[in-house]
Amino acid sequence: MIPLASTDYDAIRLSVQVATAATLLSLPFGFAVAYLITFVTFRGKLLLEVLVNLPLTLPPVVVGYFLLLLLGRHGWLGSLLNEAGIRLIFTLKAAIIASAVVGFPLLVRSLRIGMEGIDPHLINASRTLGACWHDTLLTVILPLSLPGLVAGSSLMFARSLGEFGATIIVAGNIPGVTQTIPLAIYEYASSPSSETMAFSLCLVSVAISLVVLFLHEMMAKKMARRN
Amino acid sequence: MQLSMSVKKSFGSFTLSAAMSVCGDRIGIFGASGSGKSTLVSMLAGLLEPDSGEIVLNGECLYSHTKGINLRPEQRRIAMVFQQHCLFPHLSVRNNLLYGFKRCRPEHRTIDFETLADVLKLGGLLDRGVSNLSGGEKQRVALGRAILANPRLLLMDEPLSALDDALRFQIIPYLKSVSEHFGIPYLFISHSLVEMRLMTDMVLAFEKGRLLEQTTSEQLARIRMGQSPVGYINLLKLTGMTKRDGMCSYCWKGGELLLSSSNRDTVSGLFELSSKDIILFKKHPEAISARNLLKCTVAGLFESVSKIGVELKCGDGMLVAEIVPDAARELGIEKGGIVYIAIKASAFRRLAAL
Amino acid sequence: MKNAIKSAATLFFLILLATPVCAGDIRLFVAASLKEVINELSDNYSKKNTGVKFLKNHGASGALAKQIESGAPSDVFISANLEWMDYLKNRKLADSSSIGTFTYNTLVFAGTPGKASSMQELVKLERIAIGSPRSVPAGEYAAEAIKKSGIDKLLDKKLVIAKDVRECLLYAERGEVDGAFVYRTDALQAKQARILFTVPQELYARVTYPMALTAAGVKNKDAAAFFAYLYSDEAKSVLTKYGFAVK
Repeated sequence: MIPLASTDYDAIRLSVQVATAATLLSLPFGFAVAYLITFVTFRGKLLLEVLVNLPLTLPPVVVGYFLLLLLGRHGWLGSLLNEAGIRLIFTLKAAIIASAVVGFPLLVRSLRIGMEGIDPHLINASRTLGACWHDTLLTVILPLSLPGLVAGSSLMFARSLGEFGATIIVAGNIPGVTQTIPLAIYEYASSPSSETMAFSLCLVSVAISLVVLFLHEMMAKKMARRN
Repeated sequence: MQLSMSVKKSFGSFTLSAAMSVCGDRIGIFGASGSGKSTLVSMLAGLLEPDSGEIVLNGECLYSHTKGINLRPEQRRIAMVFQQHCLFPHLSVRNNLLYGFKRCRPEHRTIDFETLADVLKLGGLLDRGVSNLSGGEKQRVALGRAILANPRLLLMDEPLSALDDALRFQIIPYLKSVSEHFGIPYLFISHSLVEMRLMTDMVLAFEKGRLLEQTTSEQLARIRMGQSPVGYINLLKLTGMTKRDGMCSYCWKGGELLLSSSNRDTVSGLFELSSKDIILFKKHPEAISARNLLKCTVAGLFESVSKIGVELKCGDGMLVAEIVPDAARELGIEKGGIVYIAIKASAFRRLAAL
Repeated sequence: MKNAIKSAATLFFLILLATPVCAGDIRLFVAASLKEVINELSDNYSKKNTGVKFLKNHGASGALAKQIESGAPSDVFISANLEWMDYLKNRKLADSSSIGTFTYNTLVFAGTPGKASSMQELVKLERIAIGSPRSVPAGEYAAEAIKKSGIDKLLDKKLVIAKDVRECLLYAERGEVDGAFVYRTDALQAKQARILFTVPQELYARVTYPMALTAAGVKNKDAAAFFAYLYSDEAKSVLTKYGFAVK
């Protein structure tokens, strides 16, 4: 096995950074959206559900392209940010956003399953005992959704580690800055002489994914037992 | 406690429409499943919004469609005990008990935790998780949790239905004593008339979403006697058991009673005897196989569907027997008359040990 | 039901195996920067030689070499540097007797006007697009120039890697990078980006485009004929039109 080059270590570090940041960033939003979909009735709920699931079915490059339209220098949101001096395209932030968008439906899905398993009588009990809706959310719903949260986070983390299509479009392939493991492997794979170097990095990628998926399965089983 | 509710709610093919006004501390809501009891109670607790109407508790308006008032559940100070205990699985027994207490305003935190734990015999369970408790233990914790929140009204939605018989009648004394001890009025929902008679004074009977009648629980039992397959259930407290000739002899207010022996006999207990199992004789029968023969005075008669209920005074005890109108005529049963009653030793059923 | 499954399976396998290679097909594997030139030349050729059909594959020369090595069918290969032609020659995938030079080019730095005017000024910039030095000749030339200028360490973490020279240009056009290393001929086609400076020739080897028939192409009469056409005066005038140097 060929040892890893310094750019490879950079790629591993960046991959973990992006996956962690994307997951942490998505958690509060994912939780809020899952809560809304599970417990609140409102008009347009179906539309929200479809929008949330959209990145799951769209090709990642399409997601990337839309993000570029939105956040690029001449984009709808991007032009405003540009005036404020904030730059997103071709930065690590863009990689994090790309992974967050692509992984979001997975997080919400797991959280929903966890929340739907909560006995609605528990929520009624909590309300009649004096807890208002956000008190109930924090003291009853959140603790009981933890297995769903962990399962969703690990799934999202794993997905982020493998994110390529959207990332390469909005974050570009910048070694040391945005070149995550999939981008590094792609670059190796495009060049005839570097194939063997890709192999070591691939093994690292597989190892990380295995660990994360193990965790996910354990949590999923725990949730199934509880229900 | 003074409650007046007049509400309407429709879902699909079912409509609940009820108007009532009650005053008292132990009120029952009686009806078969599907009669609308749970819907009514959910609306009272604020968990379900009526389509129209008004709910006023102790002079405070909790809901009014016309005035646009709809207090949220946490503002109503009405606690509930559900059929499935609904204890929080992620909290210990102690933290479950204190959940409502912590959310009370300081001036409402008047119930003493230790006393409550004592009354409900929860001492040894306090630091355990809730998943390994027995059904009865869970229900006691649920009750304690609701009481500690010091509600103005306690709603108990079929709290005993999920328990087996022996347990059910063991918990009833807890329910009553706790409510009395801490001065918390309750609304008790059930489809069991016996539970109703033990727990409540005044009952509201519902059927298919409508209020049929508002009467005392005792009266309701009499009204329903004729249509019930078990007739009127006489509830007897029997004490001082001694064994005699392979049977159990108990002391009852109305005299001595002989019951069949079983392998779970206790010194005293609460027993039930169906009105259908009491046979009336105009004259003292010379010899009969039934081991219990008592002389009684007819205290009154009432009609229920196609049956006649005969109120009998035996010593200091009261029983109700059920006979057909023909029999009443034949025997010439009338108020003040003397009759003899026979009850088989096997006709009694023990509800709970006391 | 069984018959349906059988027919579906047969169809499936037929589709898999079918690589319709008809007579008159010429398969071109051409460096990205030559896209417009080759399109025009092949169109001109088709008008005069009806019956030939061109199958074109443009991309980074290294990526193309890899595809040929992996067995992609091709007749003519035009690389943007000598390295990738040698690569195929050494593996006997290019017919060494047919190797010749098609054209030449120069490397420039193009981007948002005013950003930089020399190699040394590049260190002030935030983001610079460059083709992957592992497979894109434009990137290899640029990397050589950066190293010879002594600024390679200073540009660490500023380089956005593109998969071919056209993607570099795209990044520069969008303004998402401050500038990009592209060929002069690419920059001439740019709408938003402007040539900021020409990279001094002493910093890198001259951009040379070797071309050859592949081992399969040698046997293809139509391909050989087209290959000869690429040396013609007509071809040279098209090249000059697009800004390429012919000697």
